[in-house]
Amino acid sequence: MSAYYLLQDIDKCIGCGTCEMQCKINKGISPEPRLCKVVSIGLKWVETVPRGYYVFMNCFHCENPLCVAVCPTHAMQKREKDGIVFIEEDRCVGCKLCIHACPWGAPQWNPETGKAVKCDLCKDRIDVGLLPDCVGACPTGCLSFGNIDRMSASIRFSHKAHLAAREKTGAASCTPEKIGDRVG
Amino acid sequence: MSVFCWVKETKDKVSKIINSGQIANAWLRQRCLELQNLLEDVSCGRGTIQHLSLMTDLAETMLAEKADRAGREIGQLVSSALKDHQEVFRSHIETRICPTGGCIKLAPAPCQMACPAGVDVPGYLWLIGQGRDAEAISLIREDNPLPLVCGFVCTNPCELKCARGCIDDAVSIRSLKRFAAERTLDQGGYQNPEKAPDTGQSVCIVGAGPAGLAGAYYLALKGYRVTVIESLPVAGGMMRVGIPRYRLPEEVIEREVAFIRDLGVEFCFNTRFGQDVTFDGLRKQGMSAFLLAPGAHAAFELGISGEKDCPQVLAAIDFLRDVALGKAPMIGKKVAVIGGGNVAIDAARSAVRLGCDDVTVVYRRTLDQMPASEEEINQAREEGVCFSFLSAPLSIEHCNGKLLGLKCLRTRMGQLDKSGRSRPIPIENSEFMVPADTILPAVGQKVIAEDLNFLGKQCWTAKNTIMVDAANMATGVEGVFAAGDVATGPTTVIQAIAGGKRASESIHRYLSGRPLRQAAPLPIRRSDFKCMEIEAETKTALRRPHLPMINMEQRKTGFQLVEMSCPEKQAREEVLRCLRCDICARCGTCVEICRDQIGVDALSLGYMNFEKPGPTNLMVASERCIGCGACVANCPTGAMTMEDRGKERVLLFCGTILNRLTLRCCQKCGDAIAPGRYLDLMAERAGEQIGEPIDQVLCPSCAAKSFAEQIAC
Repeated sequence: MSAYYLLQDIDKCIGCGTCEMQCKINKGISPEPRLCKVVSIGLKWVETVPRGYYVFMNCFHCENPLCVAVCPTHAMQKREKDGIVFIEEDRCVGCKLCIHACPWGAPQWNPETGKAVKCDLCKDRIDVGLLPDCVGACPTGCLSFGNIDRMSASIRFSHKAHLAAREKTGAASCTPEKIGDRVG
Repeated sequence: MSVFCWVKETKDKVSKIINSGQIANAWLRQRCLELQNLLEDVSCGRGTIQHLSLMTDLAETMLAEKADRAGREIGQLVSSALKDHQEVFRSHIETRICPTGGCIKLAPAPCQMACPAGVDVPGYLWLIGQGRDAEAISLIREDNPLPLVCGFVCTNPCELKCARGCIDDAVSIRSLKRFAAERTLDQGGYQNPEKAPDTGQSVCIVGAGPAGLAGAYYLALKGYRVTVIESLPVAGGMMRVGIPRYRLPEEVIEREVAFIRDLGVEFCFNTRFGQDVTFDGLRKQGMSAFLLAPGAHAAFELGISGEKDCPQVLAAIDFLRDVALGKAPMIGKKVAVIGGGNVAIDAARSAVRLGCDDVTVVYRRTLDQMPASEEEINQAREEGVCFSFLSAPLSIEHCNGKLLGLKCLRTRMGQLDKSGRSRPIPIENSEFMVPADTILPAVGQKVIAEDLNFLGKQCWTAKNTIMVDAANMATGVEGVFAAGDVATGPTTVIQAIAGGKRASESIHRYLSGRPLRQAAPLPIRRSDFKCMEIEAETKTALRRPHLPMINMEQRKTGFQLVEMSCPEKQAREEVLRCLRCDICARCGTCVEICRDQIGVDALSLGYMNFEKPGPTNLMVASERCIGCGACVANCPTGAMTMEDRGKERVLLFCGTILNRLTLRCCQKCGDAIAPGRYLDLMAERAGEQIGEPIDQVLCPSCAAKSFAEQIAC
């Protein structure tokens, strides 16, 4: 887990994709790879109302990331000071092991460079005190970012409740404690 | 070889500035990206001649519109590069070859670079492999108008540079050329290309040898009226009177000449330039340009005593000419040939065929230093020719007009001289006799300069050849060009053809008022980057064919062609042995990545280092390769490719199937994900990390989706 949280309030998200777009602009990458992506989950009936869900998925910056473990060239690294998992592009040779190892498909293939790319929480931006670009761009304000120490109690509790509900339904097959929850 | 190339340099600089993000203006950035694309096109063979003007225009617009500093820098950079090095850009577009290999996709194949005429060897081999023999011959004739002749007698410098030679034996390029040419002739597909409209200008070519014929062919195609002056009664020059018929049948030359004659080239046989016709006379008749290619038909003298006293001492080149023209030369039963070049071997083998019992080649150096081709020497040996190495002729012994033999001195090899060969040093008191009743000295040929005395003294080199500018074959006299042995000294057919072709281009430039080339032309890539699929096992197992030869009895008694042509099946298979160095630049990146980065070491391509080849085994990949595709992602030329075909992942190297792996499918959507070997390796590494085996196999998008569904629920 990195020293930051990046949370999405699913109820606020309208699936506009501004976060994806801003991410591409910021990173200057081709159309195919989507470092953060909004996965739309088809219409579901909530009582009598049909509604869609849009799940924002970036990299979760796992505590023990599999992508780092499988990378043969040590291009995939975990930043010591804050636990951000990132790719050192010069070292990447494009074997795609990280892409297949990640349980959530976070690393993506960039056909233009022949290398893998992934979300690094805009580490260059947060190092100078800015927000990750997706968070800054979100028009609905459904994304929130901050230092994990300053995560508000309400967020912690709601998150705990959410996880507990999932445990009950048996949905959590991917051992989220090990791999970093929904916390960036 | 330097890897500096102006195209690459300009492209890299432009990319660097664009990537630095200094260009803030969107309009400007778009222009820069367009420029970058155009440069990329040029550096990978997609460029057209319009690219040049487009780039110039773009660069100038950028300078004219008040661009910011970075934009101006790019504009300046491109426009000055285009101005100062336009020839480089132009040649990249026209030839699709980057001689330095800086633009790695345009790095030339070593065989093509080795060919003096720059024939696109991988290109025509590919066509032969496809069964498109006539197209292959047309492709060759764009650079070499005599593919049939070369199929018989070329010294094949291409094969010496063949990368396949680092694995087993070089691809048998010459015999493939002969195969294709013979087949095309048989099937009537051997045709001249379309001629350009008549220009009305006349060109005179002196000599109907390979250089003269090549010049005549290309000039006639460009619409010039060509007259060839030839002192012999037949066309072909040294090919006809120097190369014996058992290597090159006269019909072969006749057929090639017939095609050149079809283009309207006029031949004047039995006409000696300088005697029967003169330079001034021909000028007055309206010849606008001249190509001198009379060859080097005079023999060097031995300079030893007794040489001029006996009629039985006959220069090998005169002997060969007499044989070729059907004049039976008077030779005895015991023949000594002096020299170690191809002419010496030709003379010795011809003597065997004329019924001499005892033929000895006397050479002052050792076997490995003989300039004659190894194949020729071996065939001569098989036919019973004896060799006396380390023997320097001292004098010719005769008595009352009867030749007794050749007195020689034993030599030993001394230090290397300027030419890189060691000097033979005579050993004192080691005289010995080579008994002979005929002696054929073959110690080199020279130009008969007397016929060309209209050229002033300043037009000649110290070696008694015509001084030419190697880039354009121009002599010291305006409108007069020279090619072939007269310009280079005695050399090979393909060298002469290359010279003739170069001279024809210069004559065309001269007559159309354009400046002559200042740098030697580059070979032209005439084929696309296509290749044929073949299994690695087959590619490895195929061996260079040994051409069948006629039996020894026939070889010793007549001038019948010795080497038979390659059977079709073998020819088509032989093509598949080609490693396609026109596509793969042999940079070795794939090998390094697989071995040092991925740690799989599945690529064993040691042939890539031509100087110090390591082991090559194309089959290792099928044992070790996991199908990760890092080699493909890093291959700068596109030689390595990987395709998922149904449930199979195939790794191809210039069409060679190195590996096939069965793909595992996503447990959710059923799409193929990756090969089992690959996923196992990944699971092993990942399993170590989380302490339990990973058994779930999902494709990345299903993985994301399934998690998202859990969140949303």
